[in-house]
Amino acid sequence: MTDGVQILRRNRPGTKAKDFCRWPDEPFEEMDSTLAVQQFIQQTIRRDPSNLEAILKMPEVLDEGVWKYEHLRQFCMELNGLAVRLQNECKPETCTQMTATEQWIFLCAAHKTPKECPAIDYTRHTLDGAACLLNSNKYFPSRVNIKDSSIAKLGSVCRRVYRIFSHAYFHHRSIYDALERETHLCKRFTYLVTKYPIIPQEILILPKLDDEVPAGESEA
Amino acid sequence: MKIPTAMDDNSVSHHNGGQVGSQIGVSVNNKQNEEPSQSVQYSIPGILHFIQHEWARFELERSQWEVDKAEFEARIAFLQGERKGQENLKNDLVRRIKMLEYALKQERAKFHKLKYGVELQQGDVRPPPEESATEPEPVERTQWKQGRQFIKQYLQEIGYTDTILDVRSNRVRALLGLKNEDSDNSNYRNYEKQQHDRCDYSANHMVRKYDYGKEPRKTSGSSGGGYNDEGMSVQETAAVFANFEFLTNQEMDMDEIDDLDAKQTLHASGEEVDHEAEEVLNELNMLTINEVVSAGQGDEYQGGVTSGGSASASAASSSVGSGSGAGEADEETLGLGELAQLTVSNEPEAYDVAGANKESFRKTWNAKYTLRSHFDGVRAIAFHPTEAALVTASEDHTLKLWNLQRTVPAKRSAGLDVEPLYTFRAHSAPVLCLAMGAPRSEECFSGGLDGTIRVWNLPPPTADPYDPYDPAVQGAVLREHTDAVWSLASACGRLASASADGTVRLWAPRAPRPLLATLRPDDGPPPAAGPALAPSPAPAALDFADAASRAAVAYRDGSLLLYDLETGQAVLRLGCDSPANRVRSHPTLPMLVTAHEDRHIRFWDAVSGQCSHAMVAHLDAVTGLALDPNGLFLLSGSHDCSVRLWNLDTKTCVQEITAHRKKFDESILDVAFHPLRPYIASAGADGLAKVFV
Repeated sequence: MTDGVQILRRNRPGTKAKDFCRWPDEPFEEMDSTLAVQQFIQQTIRRDPSNLEAILKMPEVLDEGVWKYEHLRQFCMELNGLAVRLQNECKPETCTQMTATEQWIFLCAAHKTPKECPAIDYTRHTLDGAACLLNSNKYFPSRVNIKDSSIAKLGSVCRRVYRIFSHAYFHHRSIYDALERETHLCKRFTYLVTKYPIIPQEILILPKLDDEVPAGESEA
Repeated sequence: MKIPTAMDDNSVSHHNGGQVGSQIGVSVNNKQNEEPSQSVQYSIPGILHFIQHEWARFELERSQWEVDKAEFEARIAFLQGERKGQENLKNDLVRRIKMLEYALKQERAKFHKLKYGVELQQGDVRPPPEESATEPEPVERTQWKQGRQFIKQYLQEIGYTDTILDVRSNRVRALLGLKNEDSDNSNYRNYEKQQHDRCDYSANHMVRKYDYGKEPRKTSGSSGGGYNDEGMSVQETAAVFANFEFLTNQEMDMDEIDDLDAKQTLHASGEEVDHEAEEVLNELNMLTINEVVSAGQGDEYQGGVTSGGSASASAASSSVGSGSGAGEADEETLGLGELAQLTVSNEPEAYDVAGANKESFRKTWNAKYTLRSHFDGVRAIAFHPTEAALVTASEDHTLKLWNLQRTVPAKRSAGLDVEPLYTFRAHSAPVLCLAMGAPRSEECFSGGLDGTIRVWNLPPPTADPYDPYDPAVQGAVLREHTDAVWSLASACGRLASASADGTVRLWAPRAPRPLLATLRPDDGPPPAAGPALAPSPAPAALDFADAASRAAVAYRDGSLLLYDLETGQAVLRLGCDSPANRVRSHPTLPMLVTAHEDRHIRFWDAVSGQCSHAMVAHLDAVTGLALDPNGLFLLSGSHDCSVRLWNLDTKTCVQEITAHRKKFDESILDVAFHPLRPYIASAGADGLAKVFV
């Protein structure tokens, strides 16, 4: 609801779905909450999910670690959509292991000893584990300042998250395509990890779909 | 003057024996020298005989005195115990009076408030102070019961069995007027008559037979004998029979006692008193009437107590019946807990629970658990109906189940972090509202921006977060709404939902055709005055009212409608200008509470439709409202980052807690009380949920 002078960015109960979060954008410099980065990222994505450049363009005043962290949070949140769709299709009977290509079998690291979970379990556990890690007070106590020792954790989360993408691409292509059309998630992810190096390039095995990505690509 | 009989005997024996010089000490004062005719003819045998005679008499008298002394000592002990019991009784009655007075004052206040819409000034309405807990917490209670067990054992060792305790507790009850005295008294009396002679005989026998060196036994035995006249014959008989265990090694004269003795076993400490009492009473019954009362649970005695059934049996059974009934026979002694239970069992539970809750609410609430795992704001929060668990619904499209007993050590020592037990994934849009199902159904409902309502079957609190995926967790999906579902309420197996498409729907989620009714505001009575309603204003919040026969729905334009769920018509229209964010109905009074964007919280009378009170509650819009299950406290959360606890009687804020950070302009989105345990929770736009104790 917008007044003349003061804009209240709230979703009041009773708001229609199309009006959800429909308020004027706030420039990053004017955001004074601790969750400013998240707000900014979400705002940009809402504006146009396909405009990767704008989404991933980091404001100058910001620390790169924080930027990466917040984006990773956003990815994990949006991957929920993929998990929901996979829940219906990816059954333990059909995909008994987490694989992408036939080369590797990925073990789920969420257990005490790495376990060979079916694909759907791997997906869920990885997302849950990522949620715990990214929200844990031990590694990420603050949202405006990331400890250097915790940056390495981001890499391992990214690797595991990428496996979810690759499994969906190779085994549940239709779901992958539908989601990608809507949210451009994988493309954005790939762009993020190449622009701000988080994981080695060799891991990115999925073929690029268009040429918009500037950084070097590697294909298996 | 005549010197005491000793001298007479002396003089008599002097006739028999010759004079002995040693006796002169005795006969120094004798004036019986005037009987020279009975000239002293002392003889050794005579003297010896005399001495023996005297000695025997002395011994007899000494034993008599010692018996008397023991008897008096026992009597003193008994009286002291009784006095102490009376003291406790008196204290409890006084406490009960205070509680009743307080309750009466509260009721008066409520009545007055409801009748006149204002507060009744009656000075200090404080709950009675708690010197010793009337409702001890479970830990204390177990210790207390252990202490009682020990005391029981000691008492048994000295012969003070449970039958005596039964009898005493029965007397107490008689005093309290809580039992059917007549039948019991008549039982007592019949019993008395029948037992009197036998007991006399047996008691005296006991006394004679006692080994004088063993004080305790004598005590109990003589206590049995001494109280004959007191009218406490039942006790005495109980005491008598209780002493059988000490007389196993001594020979018995009475065959009946033999019988009983053989049958009676020594009381094991762990044995339930009911059984012990049953045995003893069995034997008692056999003495009087040769009926064998069934040796079932003590409860069965209740039915079996007709004629001749012993009052003690009924005491045992009634204590079990009126107490918590968990087989804990500790209730039979004169304990505070028992009396509290006796009193409370006659009254509605409210005072019981109110007492406990008052205790817990009198302190301040401190942040204890922080629930971190959501990626985006937590829109709704609800506690599990019984366990220390809760469910949160978030804008990151997921719900999470948390078990408060599984904590992760956190950096800050003051709080504990909790990791989720389970993540519910199925919504494709932010989840906006949440409702817990009925207590035993282990289900919860969620409504989202995508317009769907989903039923979830909760995994047990012991589940592992990294278990394999179980598709059974996902229940039915209700898709009839066409726009975002903003509010859910669940009661009595039914679910009500309010959606931005303008409708309120009623569901029976487990039925094959879940949708029961659709309610629209146009169906209601036309507005009394003022401009016509804008076309179908969206409902913002709803709650069941009046034992789920009505639903209160608050709309975005500030109006509040009360629908009758049977007819589907709106029966009452209340309103104000400021849009409401939340509506809650009071658990016991016909009152509705609404939270508004204009920082106010308003109280409405559901019968008359008048706004009974409005107060500025926060510095910014009020978004979360919760009422505690007893209807005494109100919890409110606001976008000003504070949670406030209000006393509903005085409408004053008793505590303010600052929590959560702002995202955009939103801060706290929901608050909740636990229905049973002392937990409150707040859900924030920063993705955290906090639990306070």
